[in-house]
Amino acid sequence: MAQQISLKAAERKAFRTSYDDGLWDILLGCIFLMWAIAPYLSTSLGDFWSSAVFLPFWALAYLTIWLIRKYVVTPRIGRVKFGRARIIKLAKFTAVMLVANIVAFILGLIAAMNFERVPGQTTSIIFGMILLIGLSIAAYFLDFSRLYIYGLLVGLSPLVGEWLWTHGYATHHGFPITFGTLAGIMILVGLAIFVRLLHDNPVPTEGLPSREA
Amino acid sequence: MAHPYTDPELHPLADIDQVIHAPARLMVLTYLYVVESADYVFLMRLTGLTWGNLSTHLTKLEEAGYISIHKEFKGKKPHTTIGLTKQGRTAFREYKKSLQQVLNDLPD
Repeated sequence: MAQQISLKAAERKAFRTSYDDGLWDILLGCIFLMWAIAPYLSTSLGDFWSSAVFLPFWALAYLTIWLIRKYVVTPRIGRVKFGRARIIKLAKFTAVMLVANIVAFILGLIAAMNFERVPGQTTSIIFGMILLIGLSIAAYFLDFSRLYIYGLLVGLSPLVGEWLWTHGYATHHGFPITFGTLAGIMILVGLAIFVRLLHDNPVPTEGLPSREA
Repeated sequence: MAHPYTDPELHPLADIDQVIHAPARLMVLTYLYVVESADYVFLMRLTGLTWGNLSTHLTKLEEAGYISIHKEFKGKKPHTTIGLTKQGRTAFREYKKSLQQVLNDLPD
């Protein structure tokens, strides 16, 4: 009993148990997969539609994940309602992400308007920084340290892609290679975590009649 | 050696709530303290206790008035939600304070 009871650690464990099922990694991977595929469609559909065409794909991915969580994960992990501290933290996260997205949108708009004048490396650095900051904020507020690593990889992707493109190793600013690889990593990590979760947590049936009945 | 219940030097030990002091129940209460409520499966996963074990400890905590157990049906399946009562929350805080005092007063 000499060990200190860490309530913060207990809360963090409860939160992670509830959400760290690998499915969010897969969803994130699906989002970045679009960035890898979209450049190939931009010649036929244009810049706007080549991105917009993925909205139904994201919606489908989100719906699938929601259904898997409801029918596969929740029966294995159970349900929890979080306390005030976590709700406040999530509200702060939403507010910060909203501001960060508005800033990113404005910066993106400025970059798009000055696309010809701003060097590719500068755009890549700004783009990479935005992605790194966004994912780091998410990692901090959601207590998901894995997101820091994703943030770092995603942040470096535009730079690496630009380098590959300028040296003639890749097309479309290297997006298909860098973001395709990243999406693959995220989806594989997510799948590995999800499969482990299924393996380690079978649907409990033992004892159900005695307590649950 | 004097018994802790009679020895004034060790009196804080007697103040420790024995219902909470059992490791499994302490674990359950710690998790319930940091969330609003959790269901049976979630508590089982978090604590690593078996159905039977968890059931026994929950019954003791419920009898002490520290937790409330709400049963309902989700579709055709029974579902049990467990939450800390006001009394349970106060008892946990008191327990934490008592334990800290005992540990702080121990000589190195």
